[in-house]
Amino acid sequence: MIRVVLMILALVALGLGLAPGTEALQTGDAPRQMRHFWHVFAAYALAWLLVFGWAASIARRLKRVEDRLDP
Amino acid sequence: MEKRRGRFQVKAEATRREASSHMTLRAVRWWGLSLGAVGVALTIVFHWQVFFWVPTEASMGIVQRIFYIHLPGAWVAFLAFGIVALCSAVYLWLGEEKLDHAALAAAEGGMVFTTIVLVSGPLWARLAWGTWWTWEPRLTLTLLLWFIYLGYFLVRNSTQNRDRGRKFAAVVGIVGALNIPLIHMSVLWFRSLHPQPVVARTDGPQLHPDMATTVFTALGAWTLVFLSLFILRYGTARLEARAERTSVDMGDPLSAEQGAVTS
Repeated sequence: MIRVVLMILALVALGLGLAPGTEALQTGDAPRQMRHFWHVFAAYALAWLLVFGWAASIARRLKRVEDRLDP
Repeated sequence: MEKRRGRFQVKAEATRREASSHMTLRAVRWWGLSLGAVGVALTIVFHWQVFFWVPTEASMGIVQRIFYIHLPGAWVAFLAFGIVALCSAVYLWLGEEKLDHAALAAAEGGMVFTTIVLVSGPLWARLAWGTWWTWEPRLTLTLLLWFIYLGYFLVRNSTQNRDRGRKFAAVVGIVGALNIPLIHMSVLWFRSLHPQPVVARTDGPQLHPDMATTVFTALGAWTLVFLSLFILRYGTARLEARAERTSVDMGDPLSAEQGAVTS
């Protein structure tokens, strides 16, 4: 799990580093860029965590009602 | 003889409901999973656009990319609460149980996506404004929206009489949606720190074409993901209600009690 998260982080960092226009901002302000990167990553990670949480709760309910209707 | 016929009718009704349940389950699964598959595919495209393709905004830098999750989150939340208000209004008028189930499913989605908006906004604001939160009109009204729909769930489960709870919740669902136009117009009507609208403008989107493409892909992706989960949640609520009715018909008082507590 940790390996997957690290791989996603590396991929996202690489993508953001190579994105058009990013190089113009990298003028010796690496800590600031890292902070921006963490905020972007946190926003997307939390959003997906919430959506997956909702999906998981629906799946659990569906399984329960399926078992109840067709034991 | 009469008694036997009555028992046979109950059994036949239960069998018909069971067959209907299987059909509903199949249809719900098919539509939910089909829309979900397209939504996930579009989501992969949108993530590629956000992290590899779209140009970085000159003044804000990388953190501006939170916008591509913040704005679609807000749009989906408004869509969801719009569905809640519409279904609740028709439910109060016609009293059809399925409309209440649709409103409940949409309200859950609306809460999820409003939470996304309320989480992603401060993560951007900390770097853009230097503060996580400020009590300016749009932020305050969005937080109020979240609390109104939290109230929707609390009111729903606050009474032993399930029908009354549903009716109270429907009223909250309608009142809450009145907040949506206020949230949208707040940046124009009041002095606000929040950026002005860049997409929903009368003169068209004021964005770089690549940024506009990314925003519209994200809007499509999240709308489909929401609709997929909404359909699955709605179908689950329908099946739960049907299972409950079947249990009551078969004379299982415990399941009727459980249903009253969980729905």
